[in-house]
Amino acid sequence: MADNETIVELVRGVEGLVTLSHVFIRINQLIDSPDSSMADIAKAVSQDPSFTVRLLRVANSSFYGFSSSIDTVDKAVSVIGTGRIRSLALSMSVASSFAGLPNDLVSMDNFWRHSLYCAVIARILARRAGKCDPEAVFTAGLLHDIGELVIFNRLPEQAKDALLRVLDSVDELPIHEAERQAMGFDHAQVGMEMARQWNLPPLLEECIGFHHDIGKAQRYPREVALVHLANILAQMAEIDTLNLEDVSPADPGAWSIGGIDSGADIVEEVVREAQEEIVELEKLFIDDSSGKSAAK
Amino acid sequence: MAISPIPRPSLVLPGFEHVRRNWNHTYGTYAARLLPGEYYVTACDEGVYTTLGSCISACIRDRVSGIGGMNHFMLPASADADGWKSTSLSAATRYGNFAMEHLINVILKHGGQRQNLEVKLFGGGRILANMTDVGMRNITFARDYLATEGLKVTAEDVGDIYPRMVVYFPATGKVRVKRLRSLHNNVIVEEETRYLSAIESKPVGGDIELF
Repeated sequence: MADNETIVELVRGVEGLVTLSHVFIRINQLIDSPDSSMADIAKAVSQDPSFTVRLLRVANSSFYGFSSSIDTVDKAVSVIGTGRIRSLALSMSVASSFAGLPNDLVSMDNFWRHSLYCAVIARILARRAGKCDPEAVFTAGLLHDIGELVIFNRLPEQAKDALLRVLDSVDELPIHEAERQAMGFDHAQVGMEMARQWNLPPLLEECIGFHHDIGKAQRYPREVALVHLANILAQMAEIDTLNLEDVSPADPGAWSIGGIDSGADIVEEVVREAQEEIVELEKLFIDDSSGKSAAK
Repeated sequence: MAISPIPRPSLVLPGFEHVRRNWNHTYGTYAARLLPGEYYVTACDEGVYTTLGSCISACIRDRVSGIGGMNHFMLPASADADGWKSTSLSAATRYGNFAMEHLINVILKHGGQRQNLEVKLFGGGRILANMTDVGMRNITFARDYLATEGLKVTAEDVGDIYPRMVVYFPATGKVRVKRLRSLHNNVIVEEETRYLSAIESKPVGGDIELF
């Protein structure tokens, strides 16, 4: 049983180290405020030149696949839409916010590649299911493991112990269960607390908190199921396999809850599609923001 | 739900008492966990498993009697860049030779027949992008060694960029290789680095026991 106070304290401990970009916080406030207009949002975006440049790059990339070119922030905001701008702003600020939480257990490049795979695949699945917002689950996928970074940074010994337990079990003990054994709680719980302290939308909170335990979802079971599946297919894309036995098992109910017809075909199609998409998306979402490319 | 009792582990061959064995639910057998530099031979129906980054494991068994085992090693990098190539008895290859000889000799000592030996080779991944390809060195060494000994490799999964989990059952020759997520890279690299610095700090003599 998780000791919730421990988790709250753990997340408080990184408060000063991880901060969401000012532009995201501003956009988030404006979208939530009934008095704000599209123009207000465009203005908030424009005040951050580097964000503006990156927003226009994403707007003109195959990520959206708009046919006409989007050359101004006003146009970007009106074409992309305020809801999707919020998802995008969060997605674009998140990798750089977590640069303040370095660790010795996993390279940031590898960490974000897995997260981005999960994001891309959740988005592909959501489009196929056609019943939930693909951009929202993209962001959820990108953030699903943020609790890991907190654990790796704050509790490196226990985190390593958990990883060794996974290896000792012939890779059959899932990482979240190994974490529960090693420290009494897991990265999903830590990530969920992080989402709470950041006042992220409840959809993200549930997807982050329940991606290993989809039965606990309350308001967003469909989105949670898609992120759960995306996490598993992301592992397949990462190690380049089409065999479901090579990765952690999916909850058998996840396909139908997510609104997807399961089958070997879909696994292969989605994994291949994600492997093609990831190359461009890594440049848009990770290269610039992780601060790595500047250091190289 | 009824839980079937876990049987006692089978007897361990002398010299392998220190290798940790765990009950594995999936396979319904005990399995010995090898760390870098270790090897394990068994005459019983049990598994032996390890995780490999740039290290390499040879899985060898007598296909008739079923006695067999696995090693896990790498060549030290201290020999200068090409030293391992130019000198067959260089410090580096000596460690590989030890690892291979020990495994084969113990199998033969417990009744294995050389003509029945079946070899499978795993590992040698390039899991750190910015490192020289030490995995390939280990692969080349193992292949050369086996060719010289006249032992045929019947299956292999080597190279590439992934760490691996290898589970081997000498009694049947069955092997399961699983690529591991990059999440595990650093823990595996750390294990291998610790092993590497241990062998590099030891003087190389003709007859020292390395395992």
